[in-house]
Amino acid sequence: MKEMSKKQMADAEKRHRNGDGNPLGANSEIARKLKQYYDELVSDHVPDRFAQLLSQLEQAEPAQKKD
Amino acid sequence: MAAVSQSFKTELLGAIPSLRAFAVSLTQNADRADDLVQETLVKAWDKHESFQPGTNLKAWLFTILRNEFYSQMRKRGREVQDSDGIMTARLAVHPAQHGQLDLKDFRGALEQLPEDQREAIILIGASGFSYEEAAEICGCAVGTIKSRVSRARARLQEILKISGEDEFGPDAISAQVTGSNAA
Repeated sequence: MKEMSKKQMADAEKRHRNGDGNPLGANSEIARKLKQYYDELVSDHVPDRFAQLLSQLEQAEPAQKKD
Repeated sequence: MAAVSQSFKTELLGAIPSLRAFAVSLTQNADRADDLVQETLVKAWDKHESFQPGTNLKAWLFTILRNEFYSQMRKRGREVQDSDGIMTARLAVHPAQHGQLDLKDFRGALEQLPEDQREAIILIGASGFSYEEAAEICGCAVGTIKSRVSRARARLQEILKISGEDEFGPDAISAQVTGSNAA
């Protein structure tokens, strides 16, 4: 029991120290779910339309003089 | 007008996954999100000369995307939600079960947040921006971002019925699990 509370205190201290870095608390359920939610969105397959769009924009640029 | 450099184009391409994630977080709609990203890319391309090399391109792009989002909302005649005036209308449903919070429930809870709180907690808690960068992106004071993040967090906890989770929750649960396995 004593050991456990020691560990908890250490963890809390660690969180406190990192507190400024992650305002949500690195180990909080909210912080983890938020990350999971967002990472899933970021890793979603990017449709081709965006690469095509950039190529179109590039081709549409007026011819440039090299300088 | 200077040509768009190859490296700028490469960086734009690289930023697309983050832009899409932010756009979905704002719009809560995949199709609208992709239209928003497309608009953002076109705008960024046109305005590329106003980007200062060496500064944070991702933050610059997020700013464009966010401005576009709010200007579209205004055009649609939709009132931008003001979190101060919002009632805790819809109540949530599924209590978090022993820290095992379902992602679907989380998504639903996030959707209930007012836009300003949702974007703040996403920028800070997920996109990895500092308070200063997030304030710049949202065109507001750092203190405003801080208070939106903390209100967003409190609201999510309320909706998801998580309370006082941070200090002992996960530890206590894993201790319990270990204990019962040992028995």
